[in-house]
Amino acid sequence: MLNPLAAAPRRARRLDRAIAIAGGAASFSTLAVFGWIVWDLIRLGLPNLSWHFLTGEVETAGRSGGIGPVLVSTLLILLCCLAVAVPLGIGCAVWLSEFVRRGSRASRIVTGGVDLLASVPSIVFGLFGMTFFCQVLGLGFSILSGGLTLACMILPILVRTTLLALEGLPADLRPGAAALGLTRTTTLRQVLLPTALPGILVAITLGVGRALSETAALLFTSGYSTRWPDSLGESGRALSVHIYDLAMNIPNGSPNASASALVLLVLILLINLTATGLTERWTRHLSGTTS
Amino acid sequence: MSRSRTDRFVQWSLGGLAVLSGGLVLLIVVFLLLGAWPTIQSGLLSHLLTDETWRPGSDRDPQFGLLPMLAASFLVTALSIGIAAPFGVAGAVFDRFYLPPGFRRWNHRLLELLAGVPSVVFGFWGLTVLVPAINRLHPPGQSLLAASLVLSLMILPTVALTSQAALRAVPESETLAAAGLGLGRARTIFSIALPAAKSGIGGGILLAVARAIGETMAVVMVCGNIAEFPSSLFDPVRPVTSTIALEMGYASADHKALLYTAGLILVLAVAALVGWLAFRGSKNVPASG
Amino acid sequence: MSQLSVSRLSVRYGPVKALRDVSLEIPKGQITALVGPSGCGKSTLLHTLNRLTDLVDGCEVRGSVRLDDDLEITEATTDVLALRRHIGMVFQKPNPFPHSIRRNFEIPLREHGVSRANIPGIIERCLRDVGLWDEVSTRLDRSALQLSGGQQQRLCIARALALDPEVILFDEPCSALDPLASAVVEDHIAALRGRVTVVIVTHNLAQARRIADRLAVFWVRDGAGTIVETGPAANLFTDPTDPDAARYLSGERG
Ligand SMILES: Nc1ncnc2c1ncn2[C@@H]1O[C@H](COP(=O)(O)OP(=O)(O)OP(=O)(O)O)[C@@H](O)[C@H]1O
Ligand SMILES: [Mg+2]
Repeated sequence: MLNPLAAAPRRARRLDRAIAIAGGAASFSTLAVFGWIVWDLIRLGLPNLSWHFLTGEVETAGRSGGIGPVLVSTLLILLCCLAVAVPLGIGCAVWLSEFVRRGSRASRIVTGGVDLLASVPSIVFGLFGMTFFCQVLGLGFSILSGGLTLACMILPILVRTTLLALEGLPADLRPGAAALGLTRTTTLRQVLLPTALPGILVAITLGVGRALSETAALLFTSGYSTRWPDSLGESGRALSVHIYDLAMNIPNGSPNASASALVLLVLILLINLTATGLTERWTRHLSGTTS
Repeated sequence: MSRSRTDRFVQWSLGGLAVLSGGLVLLIVVFLLLGAWPTIQSGLLSHLLTDETWRPGSDRDPQFGLLPMLAASFLVTALSIGIAAPFGVAGAVFDRFYLPPGFRRWNHRLLELLAGVPSVVFGFWGLTVLVPAINRLHPPGQSLLAASLVLSLMILPTVALTSQAALRAVPESETLAAAGLGLGRARTIFSIALPAAKSGIGGGILLAVARAIGETMAVVMVCGNIAEFPSSLFDPVRPVTSTIALEMGYASADHKALLYTAGLILVLAVAALVGWLAFRGSKNVPASG
Repeated sequence: MSQLSVSRLSVRYGPVKALRDVSLEIPKGQITALVGPSGCGKSTLLHTLNRLTDLVDGCEVRGSVRLDDDLEITEATTDVLALRRHIGMVFQKPNPFPHSIRRNFEIPLREHGVSRANIPGIIERCLRDVGLWDEVSTRLDRSALQLSGGQQQRLCIARALALDPEVILFDEPCSALDPLASAVVEDHIAALRGRVTVVIVTHNLAQARRIADRLAVFWVRDGAGTIVETGPAANLFTDPTDPDAARYLSGERG
């Protein structure tokens, strides 16, 4: 041990290199496996993808034909879901951020309830939706039931993300508005909500993404029908349910399931990219570099 | 309407929406309780733990043993976390200390995109690619192993992202101070960064556990759905969530009440976990992750 | 005649006493400067004058503030929205709404019932008042956040002027600005003399000396802020009576 300083760095360097290799391998393999999944989906799905597939009728239980009605049902389910969840979620978030003190009992109870709701597994939403919307409210297996079930499910994301957007607003906006003699309602409608709009759009986009990827909550609420839906009271099959059904219950359903999975993946990708883009615009918007 | 009356009207309507949002979870729990009530009332609850098998629909000799399912849920969750946690945390360390900042943003973005991949897509991929591969190794393919692997992929982005956030929350000044004392990068990671980020990383892993317990689609498509205790990684299993998904469409009477009970157990398990996390977070952890 | 008369005013934030027993006459059309060390309740007094204290939970106001010797501002029944139209405010950090310059005027003007037809004229008059018209008249529809800090602060003054207030409260309006922008803003505040009653909080004694007609020196006594000296600015700077105020105004440390 003539020179302890010389020995230590060598061991440290070796450890450092070991961590770098292990961490790099972990990072790389994570991305690689996902690359593999996406590649498989493209490989299996792309050959079956065509304009006709996107717009055509579902034939022979999905083995052939397209997914036109399924896409329409999915869209309708989504619209029902948003029609309920957006006002509810934004209203709740606005109340929490503008009308009650943070940390007050009312605020803690409501946020606690919303956070608990966020922890409920999606299959339980399905169970609840089937009982409450389909049976108790008598809506049956319908697009409406499915949409309402999803609305319950995405509510926490909407509340939490909108709340983040509102709390991220410059703090001096509120006294500034008050000093001009604006009512709370005007402050909200003309100042706070327009300013938080990009953040609220992020909330909605994330909600859409979550709703679109959901299967379990829809299995026994929105039904399985593959006809073109005529009304919200009809049963209609969501894209994710279609993938599940083709893969699990329909012999030789796999090719069309792959194509459907690819469609779903692309949709989700687009939605998430939108959310990212909106988030970045939101940040710039507040720093004043865009109009 | 006068201006202050408008204000009051808006305040009360928004309050109504908030109460509805906050109370929804209560409504769900009440419905689960009502649905599960027959189980509790008719004393079936003890059967859940004592019956050997699961044959709830049988007329002559119905069996309500939930243990194999609970065991399956536990095993699948534990295994998937066991796989995902090391990868996620190691990846996060690499991201924070080794990856050039330019790549960091891309890594983050990719992981965020991956976190959004629908579970049914994972399930489908597992069924068409992974299960046949495992089948070649050891039939039948649909197995505890397949379910754990698919689930671990699903929760990996969550673990990685929360660990990254926790590591990023460690103040630069602390790691710089360590460097200033002549500590190497490895020492800094093990002695400074990881201990400081411990609770954030732990929180992320627990969050992933909660997700894994409640996950349905990624599992139901690859687990084989046989309600028995597995004796090896290659045996088919059937977790609680899959049971509900597969049977709620046709279950009736006692059987149905049992599914509600199972749902209630799921909710309680996950809520306990998340509630404890929140409690822990509010108690002693400076907000991280 | 006093525009605002504060008498025996005490304000507390929960357990924290911010002001005790403050009395002050604020004459019409003059510039009254409030000075004193940090935390002695200057902002608190301003916020009491237009009831922004309502926004703070647990803030308790006792005593009396009268506007024009007739309206009791601290009364719970006072219409605060109308009050704030009469008593405008400009903050330390410029806080235009993150909308277009035009919207920044439209929102408060519409709220107070000004018809759309009159708005463009008011915008031009007020922007000219703060010397901003020539700089922004061609980009009224661009985001107010694109303006420089000094321009933003002048916009905020113009926005306050748009409601035709009798009083404008300024809370350290120049302290977030660079010296040049600060001088410009100061000139425009000084130009309000005679037209509007100005109450200005400033840490810049030179500024107070330049623009103030009257001065009130705040100090913390027995754990709460109070006014230790008040009078015409000229007298106070040359001949203060309170020893703390004297040291403060002469620039010595307290
Ligand atoms: N919202 C609030 N909640 C609790 N206490 C407050 C609040 N605002 C001010 N205070 C307290 O009241 C006292 C007076 O504060 P105020 O802001 O009026 O001082 P100031 O003279 O304006 O100081 P400065 O020159 O730093 O702006 C301080 O002790 C401050 O801590
Ligand atoms: Mg102040």
